Amino acid sequence: METLTINNPDLVSKSAAQTNEVATKVELPTYLYATVLASFSIMIGLVWDISWHTSIGRDGLLSAPHVAIYFGGVLAGIFSGIRVLKISFAGTPQQKEESLSFWGIFKGSLGALFCIWGAFAMLTSAPFDDWWHNTYGLDVTILSPPHTVLLLGMVTIQFGAMITVLSVKNRMKLSNQFNPAVEKRLRLFFALSSGFVLCMFFTIASEYLGRHDMHRVSFYQVSSFLFPLLLVAISISAPSKWGATLAAIVYTVFMAAMVWILPLFPAEPLLGPVLNPITNFQAFEFPLLLIFPAIAIDLITQRFSSRNPWFTSLLYAVAFLMTLMLFQYPFGDFLMSDAARNWFFGTESWYFGSSPDWQYRFAYADWMETSGLDLLQGLLIALAVGYLSSRLSIRWGKWMKSIMR
Amino acid sequence: MKRIVSSLIILLLVSHFSVGHIGSPGVTLEGEAGPYTVTVVVNSPDVIPGTASVDVYLTDPTVSEVQLKPIYWFAGASGTPKADLALEVPGEAGHYKGEIWLMSPGSASIEVNVVGEKGEGSILLPVMAVSTAQKEMEASLGWTLAGLGIFLVFLMVTIISLSNSDSMVKPGDPATSKVRRKRWIGASIGLVILVLVVYGGNSWWESWGASYQRYMYKPFTATSWVTNDGTKQKLNFSIDSTRLEQLYLTRSINYLIPDHGKIMHMFLLKVGSMDVFAHLHPLRKDSALFEAVIPPLPAGDYYVYTDVTRLSGFSETIADTISIPEADPQVAMNWNDSLLIDEDDTYYITDPILKAEDRPLLPGADIVICGSPGQKTILPDSSYVTLELPESGEFKSEQLYQLTFAFEDENGAPSELEPYLGMMGHAAVFKEDGSVYIHLHPVGSYSMASQEVMEARFDGGGGRVNWDKLQKQHLFRDSVDQVIAELNSLPYAERDSLLGIGMDHSVEDPDHPDHAVVKFPYAFPEAGQYRIYVQMKRNQKILNGAFDVEVTD
Repeated sequence: METLTINNPDLVSKSAAQTNEVATKVELPTYLYATVLASFSIMIGLVWDISWHTSIGRDGLLSAPHVAIYFGGVLAGIFSGIRVLKISFAGTPQQKEESLSFWGIFKGSLGALFCIWGAFAMLTSAPFDDWWHNTYGLDVTILSPPHTVLLLGMVTIQFGAMITVLSVKNRMKLSNQFNPAVEKRLRLFFALSSGFVLCMFFTIASEYLGRHDMHRVSFYQVSSFLFPLLLVAISISAPSKWGATLAAIVYTVFMAAMVWILPLFPAEPLLGPVLNPITNFQAFEFPLLLIFPAIAIDLITQRFSSRNPWFTSLLYAVAFLMTLMLFQYPFGDFLMSDAARNWFFGTESWYFGSSPDWQYRFAYADWMETSGLDLLQGLLIALAVGYLSSRLSIRWGKWMKSIMR
Repeated sequence: MKRIVSSLIILLLVSHFSVGHIGSPGVTLEGEAGPYTVTVVVNSPDVIPGTASVDVYLTDPTVSEVQLKPIYWFAGASGTPKADLALEVPGEAGHYKGEIWLMSPGSASIEVNVVGEKGEGSILLPVMAVSTAQKEMEASLGWTLAGLGIFLVFLMVTIISLSNSDSMVKPGDPATSKVRRKRWIGASIGLVILVLVVYGGNSWWESWGASYQRYMYKPFTATSWVTNDGTKQKLNFSIDSTRLEQLYLTRSINYLIPDHGKIMHMFLLKVGSMDVFAHLHPLRKDSALFEAVIPPLPAGDYYVYTDVTRLSGFSETIADTISIPEADPQVAMNWNDSLLIDEDDTYYITDPILKAEDRPLLPGADIVICGSPGQKTILPDSSYVTLELPESGEFKSEQLYQLTFAFEDENGAPSELEPYLGMMGHAAVFKEDGSVYIHLHPVGSYSMASQEVMEARFDGGGGRVNWDKLQKQHLFRDSVDQVIAELNSLPYAERDSLLGIGMDHSVEDPDHPDHAVVKFPYAFPEAGQYRIYVQMKRNQKILNGAFDVEVTD
């Protein structure tokens, strides 16, 4: 297994030396690096694939973005699979103690199990999707049953990466082992792995979270369900005081970088009808300003974590919705303005099959904006959704905090 | 009982449906792409979005490149992506093959562009891009997916069970009975959740399938009946005006345009024996009702196949069956062919369809024509027509043939043919059970009216169709009816020359110096017994000849 290491050998020896120094109980397994890299690769592939479909339109099984996604799945699946087999049949007593036993013969960590499940789900989705395309046509939608199996696989791998980091952190905390270098790396890995899950959540729901949706109440309802569900749990379980904020930073930097990088490459639509004859890759969405609600969530976690969870949930939900509304709503106006039509915000990007002369390309039509009583009623629903979602997330976060294996 | 049989037959027809024609999904074209003579075969996907396979056959050795691209009627030439290359099939000189993506349902065409030493030239082949098939999953894939699915459920139940129990136990600590109980609770909850997820997923899948089925192409159905006005029997053909879920302007029957000067081409064929054939041109009474005068045909059940084309270039076949009763003695006695609605209407009564082994070997019936075996038949005016057969005497399914007919007059000299409906010949191919029907021209099996529509639209670029600016349906219908009435009022020769504009009427073929030859490019879709009716015109008389052929896999 160590021969498959993908990180800098210096780092490995250093970390090995450090673990020897403190005690032999805490180590950063090689497969942790692999799963975080897998999560990253999947996310790049996914955003790139969406851009591919809005710029070129058609692809093959082994298009570059697909390869990036499959690479992530294979990497996580193989590393986790080998890890489980190795611990089951040739593990040290300490590794076995830190593992879960299942099906009578296997031993492995929960994170590895998630990654294996994700890899198999991705594997299953391939023939399923192929059949689907032959039966119902080559769909270009994000959410179809086989795509959902694929997405579930990807999210599970990303979640596995997060859990893996957490179990190491929790064990460190339990044994009172403190090693600044390892802790720093854990914080980084947790920020990366949780940030990539956040990217994934956003991508899955992106059909409701676009520039043209920012004045619709559905935007705030979908957001109130998805983001507190993830950010609160991250905030509670993170190895740092600013878990949600760090995840939001990773999300922001990643999504923005994709907006900046993808359009640098040439692309030409290969499917008709072409209404918008573009010559380079069209960017995906500019990141939402989730960083502000994330800060609010972290502040609440820092100050009110010992309070009744039903009360804290209310704080989370209100704070999330208010901050999001405060920043994102006007930011929607900004994104529609000429000031945002540049490489930085990427709002010039436009699907090749849509007319570039559409009158609402850079404006909100009446029917895109919720107002008056509808808005009020919708926001109350968003608040209720956010409340339940936050409550669920607190429970989830506490569980993640207590994962040992 | 007859009604039930008819319904069954029509059900059978519907289940074999492919757009444009019945049971014959491939579209063939023979024509000129600039300086190059090309034969093109397109097999459209049966699911849209999907890929069409395109085969291009060229005889010119100087050709260097063949490009293909799909152009949708509604998107126009300017809304079309760059062309894809068709690649030469290794070992088959002059045969190029390519795949073309048809992403939206609608009326489309494939442009074949040929580049070579003689310059560049292109030709358009209309294709109807619609989903026609609802597929089932093969058992092997089904079991594989089911196996993987069960494994995933089992593993996820394990994960949930462990998440709820052992994962929170400190390293080295034993699993207490409390932990063990939590395992089972977790597993049970997990199982319930997963069953619900699988159930929800399945419902989602089913709703997807239902939605696909709702929007997939469904042929128009029609109701036909016979009326008698005292002097003649009339066939009333009423298209069922069901609401279209999709393409309601593209496929609207109010936007019909004339093909060869006729709003509708109707073929009648006697069920079973296939020995009675008629090619009629009904008049439009209102948007959905068409009326034709029935020639003196023997009583019995008939297949009714009608071909129509729209403003959008969307052409399709609408089929029905009808039981034609014995005509009143009065009507039968008074019959003369001038009672037919249209001068181009024709009918033919001949021998029933026979298998090769049952066919009597008439002297001279099995002959060799210009080196190939042939099947010869005598026409009503005592001239002859011979169908060239493959070496084996049998045709193979899904293989492109030039169905070649050679015409000789009473003395064995080449017949002098005249254009019929603007063409030197027409052919209608029927499978024994009525499940395949196609109307062929020497230029192929596509709708020529569709091609004209596409060419006119894409000439000079042609952007997107502005649906709002389309002429209103009833106005369009009236103006088309007016044009047809004007056409019909013209003297025959003038009308014919109008319809025949731009056609190549050459019936000379270097391979057949002693005959007048008409060829139809066609690939039989499946094995079986087929009857082919070939139609031509000589001495101002429309002639029909019948041939029976075997097609094997």
